[in-house]
Amino acid sequence: MNSETRRIAVIGGNRIPFARSDTKYAHATNQDMLTAALDGLIDRYGLEGEALGEVAGGAVLKHSHDRDLTRESVLSTRLAPETPAYDVQQACGTGLETAILVANKIALGQIDAGIACGADTTSDAPIELNEELRATLLDVNRRRSTADKLKTLTRFRPGHLVPRVPRNEEPRTGLSMGEHTAIMAKEWDIGRAEQDELAVASHKNLAAAYERGFQADLITPYLGLERDGNLRPDSSLEKLAKLKPVFGGPDGTMTAANSTPLSDGASAVLLASEEWAKAHDFPVLAYFSEAQTAAIDHVHKREGLLMAPAYAMPRMLDRAGLTLQDFDYYEIHEAFAAQVLCTLKAWEDDDFCKEKLGRDAPLGAIDRAKLNVNGGSLAAAHPFAATGGRIVAGLAKQLHEDGKGRGAISICAAGGQGVVAILEGPEGGTK
Amino acid sequence: MAAATKPETRKLTSAPSILPLYARAAAPLIPGASLLPFVPGGGGEIPAVRLELDGVVADPEALAAYAKVCGFPLRDHLPPTYPHALAFPLHMALMSDGAFPFGAVGLVHVANEIAQHRQLGVGEELALRVRATKLKPHRKGRTFDLITEVRVGRQIAWESTSTFLRRGKVDPDAASGEEFPILAADVPASAEWRLAESLGRRYAAVSGDRNPIHMHALTAKPLGFPAAIAHGMWTKARALAALEPRLPDAFAVAVRFRRPIALPATVEFAAQGPLFAVRRGTERHLDGRITPVAAKPGPKGKAN
Repeated sequence: MNSETRRIAVIGGNRIPFARSDTKYAHATNQDMLTAALDGLIDRYGLEGEALGEVAGGAVLKHSHDRDLTRESVLSTRLAPETPAYDVQQACGTGLETAILVANKIALGQIDAGIACGADTTSDAPIELNEELRATLLDVNRRRSTADKLKTLTRFRPGHLVPRVPRNEEPRTGLSMGEHTAIMAKEWDIGRAEQDELAVASHKNLAAAYERGFQADLITPYLGLERDGNLRPDSSLEKLAKLKPVFGGPDGTMTAANSTPLSDGASAVLLASEEWAKAHDFPVLAYFSEAQTAAIDHVHKREGLLMAPAYAMPRMLDRAGLTLQDFDYYEIHEAFAAQVLCTLKAWEDDDFCKEKLGRDAPLGAIDRAKLNVNGGSLAAAHPFAATGGRIVAGLAKQLHEDGKGRGAISICAAGGQGVVAILEGPEGGTK
Repeated sequence: MAAATKPETRKLTSAPSILPLYARAAAPLIPGASLLPFVPGGGGEIPAVRLELDGVVADPEALAAYAKVCGFPLRDHLPPTYPHALAFPLHMALMSDGAFPFGAVGLVHVANEIAQHRQLGVGEELALRVRATKLKPHRKGRTFDLITEVRVGRQIAWESTSTFLRRGKVDPDAASGEEFPILAADVPASAEWRLAESLGRRYAAVSGDRNPIHMHALTAKPLGFPAAIAHGMWTKARALAALEPRLPDAFAVAVRFRRPIALPATVEFAAQGPLFAVRRGTERHLDGRITPVAAKPGPKGKAN
């Protein structure tokens, strides 16, 4: 058995621009978008005909006919068909989780190179057969005699023709993610203005990243979209202040601008061992050095649904021997501005850090100038499983530009889960 | 070959509407109708006309529907067979012209060759050029070619030749056509396609080709077919969708349409090296061959 681990190199990434729901990608499926994101990555790194160790991917909103979505997408690309692939699903943590899985196999020497990817569409959403109709049809199938079959069929009611449309709600609480976050925002006393400020910064930072050409080798245009459709470079506090709250009732602080919109998109990241990178003459953008997942009990202990990253981060920091302040970049997924602000506040809070995290001292504040420096999900939008790949590729590129440095990634997910990771620059983590 | 008369060029400002053209295309089936000046027929020579339509951009929704029916992923470039669907209204306009020697309904599509010199981007502005060649004698009647060019700027990016047979007097002396290599019958199938009875209607909706022989058994029977038959260009498109990940950006693909596929049907797809086939048992429906062509710079600027 292998007892040594290897460093994991981030070689690069590619994504299609993210589109708002029912716009440019209205007729594209998850498989179409995932294939397009992979096509662009394969094209950029000349992977045609290459048999990679594996491709791990996934989608959060998945059709029943999208069994083996990732494998089927791989077979539509020019990668060698001998490249294995599998699907992962961990709500909005899917994208980053796929990177962890591929990274771990590289670290253990089980594979030399692989792709982590994800796609999500809210336009081409699955609509299912009515649950009672489905149960009736299956029961009919189980009956032996025609008479029994007909008898079972009499259970059919016209109302059964109404299909089941997926709802964005937590199965165990019945609340939507926005409603859950509104509760968190109230608990942590997060104001409207600070949420709007975070949203404006997200748009400004992403617009600036496009302006300076930072996105040029991170994105491949798709179906007439060259930039993220949700990006509003002229976003301002004045404009955002006019919006009515969408979650948390009439006094709520969460609006359509400081919450991510429904969107469509896909992303992919190429990870490899240093030897593979060298053999292929690819510069290493960054090293994937640590990762951690955590979950909280949002049902019985009534912890905030999206607070799990607050728990995952200190565990990872302890293992890495780092403090929260030892980073040059913080990539905190902006599912909602309030989620980011609750997390930061929790890390600064004596009681939370003592009682919930069991620490003597709080993790402390971060330098806000280092937060989502090239834009976040509020600006780019958030096609669930595609967000992890967007963040890993963007942070790796930023660290490569700097040479040295360290970045933390934090992604919250439905079901009370969180995924965090650390990337380090090609010349080391310390500047 | 005699010096061809310079074709008359007709510039169109929009794609012709297909349904009225079908009325004219089918009109020659009515006895005596061909005597009317606006109805094709009369059996003379094919008019030297070239139709041009500039500024064609694929409609994303129509493209997505086409891709789905043919089995292509929705990529940022057009499926290699899609320009044929874009040019179809021009094909119909040409063949339903009053000067055309016979109606389009009843012609047999026997071959198609496509040369894709570079991929066509989804948003690219395309210029279509369509013309027909003179009639040639054939063992089972006479044939002509419908030639389609797609230009991007001044560059010919894509071109295709569709050969149609007008059944007629058997000419045993006519050349049987060049030898076309055929995939060996013992190459095992790589896939089985189950084709629904509705396939002709589904492809008609995305390609515009509503020839009654594809729509329903009831409309195919009067034209001599036992059931609705699959479109030859669908069969070719489906085969290319299966081969696509293995194809370079620039390539040529020639097919011969053999026995029509009566729907519904289960057929086999087989491929080896440059050759592929759609068949059922010993019956051959389509024989195909991929050949290389020189690449031209593509939508992303590089020679691909």
